[in-house]
Formats: sequence, C-alpha cells, structure tokens
Amino acid sequence: MTALRAFLTAIARALLLLLAVSAMVFVATELLPGDAAGARASNGATVEQVAALRAETGQDRPAWQRYTAWLGSLATGRLGTSLVNDRPVADAISQRLPASTALVVLALAFAGPLILVIGCWAGAGSRTRGTRTAVVTGLAAVPQVVLAAVLSALFAGALGWLPPVSLLPPGGSPLESPHLLILPVLSVALPTVVFGAGLLAGAVADTVRRPHAVDSRLRGTPTVLFFARDVVPFLLTPLARVVAISAGGLIAAATVVETLFGYPGLGSLLVTSVSARDTPVVQAVAMAAAAVVLGGLLLADVIAVLADPRRAPRPKRRAPRYLGVQP
Amino acid sequence: MTRVLGTVLAVVLIGFTLLGEWAAPYSPTSPVTAAWAAPTTAHPLGADALGRDVWSRVVAGGRSLVLTAIPAALAASVVGVAGGLAAGWAGRRTDRILTGVADVFLAVPSLLLALVAATRLPGSAAVIVATVCGGAPLTLRVVRDAVTQIRHTGYVIAARTRGERSVAILVREVLPAMSGLVGADLGLRLVIALQIAAALGLLGFGAAPPAPDWALMLRENMTGVALNPAAVAAPAVALGLMTTTLALFAQSTAHRER
Repeated sequence: MTALRAFLTAIARALLLLLAVSAMVFVATELLPGDAAGARASNGATVEQVAALRAETGQDRPAWQRYTAWLGSLATGRLGTSLVNDRPVADAISQRLPASTALVVLALAFAGPLILVIGCWAGAGSRTRGTRTAVVTGLAAVPQVVLAAVLSALFAGALGWLPPVSLLPPGGSPLESPHLLILPVLSVALPTVVFGAGLLAGAVADTVRRPHAVDSRLRGTPTVLFFARDVVPFLLTPLARVVAISAGGLIAAATVVETLFGYPGLGSLLVTSVSARDTPVVQAVAMAAAAVVLGGLLLADVIAVLADPRRAPRPKRRAPRYLGVQP
Repeated sequence: MTRVLGTVLAVVLIGFTLLGEWAAPYSPTSPVTAAWAAPTTAHPLGADALGRDVWSRVVAGGRSLVLTAIPAALAASVVGVAGGLAAGWAGRRTDRILTGVADVFLAVPSLLLALVAATRLPGSAAVIVATVCGGAPLTLRVVRDAVTQIRHTGYVIAARTRGERSVAILVREVLPAMSGLVGADLGLRLVIALQIAAALGLLGFGAAPPAPDWALMLRENMTGVALNPAAVAAPAVALGLMTTTLALFAQSTAHRER
C-alpha cells in the first residue's frame, strides 16, 4: 500500500513537472519578443500580410488560449507542421530518432559503469578526498565543447585515426558505420561520467562511513571485494538517480556534439529549427527531450521505491553545488 | 589570505582575457599568411581557413564570451541570493514554495533552455535567461542553507531584539556574513555562464564572423582539423583553462566558508 502510494506520488510529480516545463517552453517560444510570422514574412511583406499570417497560424489569440490549445494537441499527439517546409513535425522527429537513440544509448552504456568506478574512487578516499574532489570539480568545469574539440583535434587531426565529421549515408543506420560513432559517443559520454561521478561521490562517502563498511575495512577485506559486497549494493538507488539525471543532460549535450560532428540526430534538428525560428519543431523536440528527462527521474523514483518500499521517493534531488550545467 | 589570492588570480585571469586584444601580434581579423598554414616560429599556432593568425585570435578571443558571461552570472547570483535570503529567513511555506520552484528549474537541462530561448532572443540574452534559470536555483539552495544557520546567531538575534526590520537585518547583518560564500558562488555561476555561452556560440548563436571568439573559432576551424589541429585545440584549451581555474578557486573558497 505504501509502495503503491509512493508510485502514484512519483507519477503525479513527474506529470506536474512536465506541465511546468511545457509552460516554460511555451513562454520561451511564444511570448518572448519577436514572432515567427514576423520573422517568416520579414523579407518585404506588408503589415496586412503579416497580420493575415498571424491570424492563419492563430497567433492573434490571447496567450492562455494558445497555450491550452497547444497542450491539447500535444496530449493527443498532434505535433503540427514545420513553418519552414510544411512537413509534419512527427515525420522530422521519427526520421532523426534512430541516430539520436543510438548515440544516447551507447553513451549511457559507456558512461554508467565509469560513473560507478570513478564515483567510488572520488568518494572513498579518506585522506585524499579533498584532492580527488578537486580533480572531479576541475574536470567537471571543462565545457563539453572543449572536450569535443580536443578529442577531435587529437584523433581526427593530429593522429588522423578517425573521420572529423560523422555524416551518415542517407537512409543508413548509424550502427553500420561504428567508427563514425566513436568521437560523438565519447564527447557525449565523458562529461556525463565526470558529472555523474561528482554526484555519486557524496553517496559513496556516506556508504563507506556506515558501520558495516567500517567494520569490513577493519577486518581487512580486499578493496575489490569491499566495494563489490559492502558499497555498491547500497548505491543502487543513488546510481539510478544519477544516471537518470545524467541522461537528461545527455540529450542537451547531444545538440553540441551532433552539430560539431555533423551527426544527423534530434539535437542538430533542434539547433537548425532554432536558427530558422521554426517554433513547432522547437517545441516538439524540446518537449520530447523534457519528457525523456522526467521519465528518467520517474524511473529512478520507481527503482528507489522497489529498493526500499518503506520509504517514499524523496522529492529533493541533490544537485552538486559546484556545477549546475548538466553536461 | 588564500581567498584574497584566489580573488586576485580570478580578476587577473579575467583582466587578461578582456585586454588580450592588445597583446595580439597580428590583426585577429585579417589574413596574414596561407590558409591552414602549419605552426611556424612567426605563427606559433598556424593559421585558420582564411589565413588569419590563430595565436592572435586566441589571445583576443575570450573577450566576447567573458563579456556575455559576467552579466549572466551576476543576474543569476542576484536572483539566487534574493531567493535564498527570502527562503532562509521566512522559512515554512515561503521556503517550501521557493525551493520547489528551484527544483522545477533544476529538472530542465540548462542548455535545452538556452536553445529554446534562443528561438526568439539574441544569443547573449538567451545565455542570461538560461544561466538564471539553471544557476540561480543552486545559489538559492546554498544561500538558504547559510541563512537558516546565521539567523540563530547572537548578533542577528540581538538585531531582532533591537526591533530592526527584516530587510535591514538581512542587508546589514546577514549578507555581510555570507560575502565569502556569495563571492565563491558567483565564481561557479560564471563557470556555468561560460559553459552555456560557449555551447551557444558553437551552435551559431553567439559572436558573428569575423570576430575572434573561442566558440566561433571552434565552429569555423573544425573543417580544417586535419590540416591544422592547433586551430581547434588552442581556443579549446584556452576556454578549458579559464573555466577550470575559476571552478577550482571558487570551490576551494566555498569549502572554507562553509
């Protein structure tokens, strides 16, 4: 019963957050100065033409009506059509989805184990903890663009091992040309590893201070066994949460990496739509990304309940104080 | 002492970045040698696609990023400190509402927010919006925690007993006691602002060509990475050094203050 209630709370919380995010996206794309009709008709359109275009796209209605109408169509799966090429937004998204999924899933598969290892390393040192935290802090401050550029300069430039751009053949699956994925996956995954390890280190430090862990250390348990038996099983809940939060960051990070390497995923679709002021596409991609982020957090909450049904999911996410930008 | 040293170093670092243009040996915006020329003694980092000297562009290239990031970090800090003071001082419902709102903003990746805001706003304004939305909640948390501790100290209780108004106590008693913490936190917000500004610049929403700008250089020079890797590596290293140094100093100060 408590578990059921905890599930329902978690779901309600995720839905509420999604609603809040939708309001943010709407305000940012619809209410800030400058509108799509004006931008679209900027090349020599008369005032009347702009007004007609506004009426046609419904932009002359009050904001709250437009918001509820937009929410309604989102909820029923109607994503609208692109302002630039009049293609359905859903088509554009489903076309880019496989490439993005491949990138994010591979990056997560790569990052997950490393988060655990480096998180344990950073959190467990008793005397060297300060230095280790400093290393993680310093690395976490490196902007992702820097990492991507340095990797590219090294492997594509100086060494010449990998292609500098990852353009996929039209209609080809990204998995058919795995060497094109190496640089994008590394550039997305490595900042996530540092970010996630920084988050996890706190939980590790708490775990190694628990009585059973202290005892085990005093008994002289070998390090590997100590972590495998006495630390990692207690990290399931925090790890799920960290991976969920990091996965949210991955999607935003993918925009930079996809643009830099010319990789045709959802991130580069978002970037081109933003520069073309293609509001429906921006809204749909942003909401899809937000839904994945919140879905991940929900999943982490569910795992927390399953791991310890007595305790309801804690609503507070601890964000690292030194960060803020998810990679 | 270390705090003074850290502050001086941060100011010097930012100062050099702002004034770097004067130290550039060549014009950062006009061609001086062959396109993608490899590093030589005259051009230690070679040239870019138009034959412009990469070293001169790197030296001059941090200015626009820093000038975008500073107001963004200040805005985030002001909003966060105000919110944190209110939440920590008022407690109860105000606290719950403010930290709840902060949590909502923290759930959205800052870069996603920056991009969505860039649909309508110019790049630098989008950096400010995203830094405030992504950074202020963290500042709010830190300041709130500090205020809840300070409000039970003797001098604050003394001021309350004297019958001073809340705003006066917060400005005259509480805020000065947290100046180190707030300063260190500002450094961390600057790191976030630089990260967002660099990402937006790379995506084409920042400085316009032919301006020398680290993010823009990464965007432009990526096509020639096989010809002159230094043209990509140099601005990246400069940006990375800047953010890492700022973060380490801010982090060590924040630890000592807490």
